[in-house]
Amino acid sequence: MRRFALFTLLAACLSAQSLQDFEKRITEFTLANGLHFIVMERHEAPVVSFYMHVDSGAANDPANASSTAHMFEHMIGKGTVSLGTKNWPEEEKALKEVEAVYDKLEGERAKGRRADKAQIERLEAELKNAIAKADGFVDQNAFTREIERNGGVGFNASTSLDATNYFYSLPSNRAELWFALQSEWTARPVFREFYKERDVVREERRMRVESSAQGKLIEALLTTSFTAHPYRNFIGWASDIENLRAKGGEAFHKTYYVPANMCISIVGDINAAEMKKLAEKYFGPIPAGPLPPRLVTVEPKQEGTKRTSIESPAQPFVAIGYHRPENTHSDDAALDVLNGVLSSGRTSILHKELVEEKKTALGIQTISSFPSGKYPHLFIYFAVPNQGKTVDELEKAWEEIIARVQKDGVDEAAVKRVKTKARAGLLRALDSNSGLANAFAATYMTHGDWRKIFTDLEELEKVTPADVKRVANEYFKPTNKTVAVTVQPTKGDAK
Amino acid sequence: MKSAILVLTSAGFLAAQPAKAPALQVGAWKTLKYGKLGDVKIPDIEIVTLKNGIKAYLLENRALPFITGSALVRTGSLLDPAPKKGLSEFTGDVLRSGGTKSKTGDQLNEQLENIAASVESNSSDEMATVSFNCLKENIDEVLGVFVDVLTQPEFRQAKIDLLKTQYRSAIARRYDDADSIARSEFSAIVYGRETPFGSEVEYENVDAIGRADIIAFYQRYYHPANIVLSVQGDFDKAAMKARLEQALGGWSPQAGAPPVFPKVSNVAKPGLYFGEKKDVTQTFLSIGHLGGLLSDKDYAALEVMSDILGGGFDSRLFRKVRTELGYAYNVGGGWGADYNHPGTFRIQASTKAESTVETVQAVLKEIDRIRTEPVTDIELNTAKEKVVNRFVFNFDRRVKTLTRVVRYDYHGYPRDFLAQYQKSMAAVTKADILRVAKQFIDPAKFVFVAVGNPDSFKTPLTDLKLPISKLELKVKEPAKPAAEVSEASLAKGKAILAKIQQAVGGIDKLKSVKDLTTTATAALGNMQAKQKTWVIFPNQFRQEQELPFGKVIATWDGTKGMFTAPGAPAAVPMPPPIQKQLTDELFRGWVMLLQSDSIAGRTINALSENVIEISDKSGQSVKVTIDPATGLPAKSNFQMAGPPGSSEIEVIYKDWREAGPIKLPHQTEMFQAGRKAAETKFETISINSGVTLAEIMK
Repeated sequence: MRRFALFTLLAACLSAQSLQDFEKRITEFTLANGLHFIVMERHEAPVVSFYMHVDSGAANDPANASSTAHMFEHMIGKGTVSLGTKNWPEEEKALKEVEAVYDKLEGERAKGRRADKAQIERLEAELKNAIAKADGFVDQNAFTREIERNGGVGFNASTSLDATNYFYSLPSNRAELWFALQSEWTARPVFREFYKERDVVREERRMRVESSAQGKLIEALLTTSFTAHPYRNFIGWASDIENLRAKGGEAFHKTYYVPANMCISIVGDINAAEMKKLAEKYFGPIPAGPLPPRLVTVEPKQEGTKRTSIESPAQPFVAIGYHRPENTHSDDAALDVLNGVLSSGRTSILHKELVEEKKTALGIQTISSFPSGKYPHLFIYFAVPNQGKTVDELEKAWEEIIARVQKDGVDEAAVKRVKTKARAGLLRALDSNSGLANAFAATYMTHGDWRKIFTDLEELEKVTPADVKRVANEYFKPTNKTVAVTVQPTKGDAK
Repeated sequence: MKSAILVLTSAGFLAAQPAKAPALQVGAWKTLKYGKLGDVKIPDIEIVTLKNGIKAYLLENRALPFITGSALVRTGSLLDPAPKKGLSEFTGDVLRSGGTKSKTGDQLNEQLENIAASVESNSSDEMATVSFNCLKENIDEVLGVFVDVLTQPEFRQAKIDLLKTQYRSAIARRYDDADSIARSEFSAIVYGRETPFGSEVEYENVDAIGRADIIAFYQRYYHPANIVLSVQGDFDKAAMKARLEQALGGWSPQAGAPPVFPKVSNVAKPGLYFGEKKDVTQTFLSIGHLGGLLSDKDYAALEVMSDILGGGFDSRLFRKVRTELGYAYNVGGGWGADYNHPGTFRIQASTKAESTVETVQAVLKEIDRIRTEPVTDIELNTAKEKVVNRFVFNFDRRVKTLTRVVRYDYHGYPRDFLAQYQKSMAAVTKADILRVAKQFIDPAKFVFVAVGNPDSFKTPLTDLKLPISKLELKVKEPAKPAAEVSEASLAKGKAILAKIQQAVGGIDKLKSVKDLTTTATAALGNMQAKQKTWVIFPNQFRQEQELPFGKVIATWDGTKGMFTAPGAPAAVPMPPPIQKQLTDELFRGWVMLLQSDSIAGRTINALSENVIEISDKSGQSVKVTIDPATGLPAKSNFQMAGPPGSSEIEVIYKDWREAGPIKLPHQTEMFQAGRKAAETKFETISINSGVTLAEIMK
């Protein structure tokens, strides 16, 4: 016990030390247009990682155009007005023509039953030709080629419900390339090959959701537990994707890709003052714009437990979600500790009981923030039954464990263990440029200060077993709960 | 449209008025000049040999207050004995989970998690590792646990049993995910399903592995001469060496000979292998054949070729299949090489079912192109520049250098392999690329694996003009746990059977039974069924069941069966699954089963004082437990075939009384996977009524 106390003290010192150390090595500045930068010098090796965080994502998709944010994100690979084209003025004309024909086609389709079928077919053919003409000006994948040729690694982008991220690393002598490419794209994205990329995004949905029992189950959980809030739709509907328009992407860019809604972090073997000069040179010219409108939809109160199922010939899964508040809420730390006590590591309650002792589950997981954290979201439990065990057994087992936690609370020792692991986990995460860059930008945009990475630990430290018991009672209740399970297909269906 | 105009206007404004606002740097990337890249620091690695012969690689890394270490053990699943496939993974897993002589695995979990440390152990194809990770101030404690796990494992049975449950569950889920099916079937076919490279762990392997096997496997491979150790982190090298010597230097168990890994010898049958999966909207594809070794002299040229063909976001396949055709989100692949056995040349893609054949054709076209035309200068230069400029990322973390050196040494490669590769890469020409593409990629030998839903294919697979084989995406059913068979157990089995024969009336009476007619009421859950059955021995049969929704009739004339479903106008040939259930039931009928000692090919084996297992060469098997007080069967246990897989059945027999010359049970209860599934009461049982085959087949 004594050694334990000493250790905790030591870990606390370590994190205070690292915060001070980070303060020294970090430079922060905001351009006149509102774009914020966080730069950290790390001279271990001559490489540098870049991370651009846009504080809007799929939850900001326009109505009936789900996947707009994601579709826009895919445009990063398509290049800019100067990179990816064989002749920009001509290509620009051709792209406008594509939109003009598409507008006519949509106009005709909008007539519904009164539409002229022959006219639709003519316009469809015309659209195909217009697209082919525009494609003729494309220098395919030139943007990514330029990055790869210069030794760029880890080039990618991602869209969550809350945010969109763009990132990669370069040899540090080529840092300026990132500024040149990223600023040009951010200011003037091109909707090149938009309608082919739409097919790719459609394939992504097929791969992640339609061809995966787990994907289908998670989609069912979210659409059931959220009635109104955009968190209900995490990858977009097939029919929406199939009808997305380049002009929708442009509108999205104009509204959300304003400098004050973005943060860029740079970590590696660079000079902060030089980075600031480059930032001003390349990102300074991007005009300031008003912050995007707030997302005002609030999920209405749930009135009772909801249940849903999907048919799947695969072996079964169960997912249970409970509504919980946003991750800036004062209960966030206690919910994190509850999550750790329940499922982190082999000593956690669920692992010990369900995986090891009763052998009901092949695997279990709880996640305290799902699918994203900016708005009220879900605490979820996901379980994979062992052969011969059922989803019902796993739901019942979960209910029993939760009832026990609600009545008797949790061990002091278990709570301490979660805190200790969180500290060490943070220290371990400080080991890579790209991981740091990601953490700085995301934390800044979510909490307004990158230091929250460290100060979060202090909040975690304050959590008591009583807090954990309280939040378990507060949030794990029938009127917050949604259960999603897989069931075997009914007879006559495809096996 | 309005918003689009706004964007264009503001951009135009910026371009037109550079004096008032700095202009956006359009096209600046074209003229950038870069300074010299900073020096790459290659860290010093010290190699020491402990007293017991363990070679240890040490790297100081003071950036963070952690120490990590790992013992690399020369073993792996390639060395599994065939009937015990999975043994190395079992050993690797239970080495840690099963605890040590002094502590259980659970105690270790708690001890380590309390200090946010870990000690882990696992095994892959051709190596096993035991590793640790801790804050530097816990090094003594954690190193102690690490050494204890490595040298004093206890392999407790409970954790072996847990792992068996988990393995069985994983096997049951093997054919659930189309993507992983396509990948694993490809490997199985290319390397050979029966070889150590292509085989998978089946239920029967899991059943066959016991604690003694695990201990023997551990003793064979986990000893100092077969281990290299690497430790890196926040420590002083000299102090660490002393620490390791003290903790591990005294460990000197008996050493076995260095293991020899098997060679790949399979010749795969080229063609299309199709797995039908109706619950997916995409088809998952793997296309290719065997690859080569990292030490091949053409490896660098093959890598450049592969990169142009299918690597990254600007490869030919990505450009064609994703960017141009929009067929796939995922597409790519290329030449695969391993240290000491061939990797695979493999292209992967997943596409909507409709464009399955078109995607395969597009991939083939690109492969044909790279084998027949030289690549362009731009392609070659881009591919080379990429490797040159990326080189620094091989050194962006100190630990990467350590990992590399240890790997090269382990596999017998030169320590400067990376530099050599870099050199040969720089020398690759367009002619080299064309030559290696022609020489090493052979579409005539391609194995095409496709997993998806054929109902939605726009073009039939036959258009590919390839021989098509169907993949059986079904798990090999668990073999019955093999009971020990000895002369003594067989003799005892016969004796127990004789006791049952006696209890039901004697063998002569049993032999006198020519036919049997029963009427019964069966309760199947909430449903009641009237059931009438005729059997003419040895193997002709008719059963009529009246269910709430109609009548089911099944007949079997000894070789073929007919089946009438409720409401069906006529009998149809019996579907194979029903036929299987019916013949299984005939096998288990008491009259013939109790005469097993005079039926050729049957084995009667005693499993205990009161349990016999009767089986035949076709794989039929049933366990019969007798009531020692009466000598009559109390229950039987068997596997019942049927969708969605076979299940464990137990039948309890009650109310044994006279039915003609012999005794038979007049009530049965059936349990499926532990749950009661049916209860049957026999109202009449008549024997030797003289019923004829013609009568029961009508």
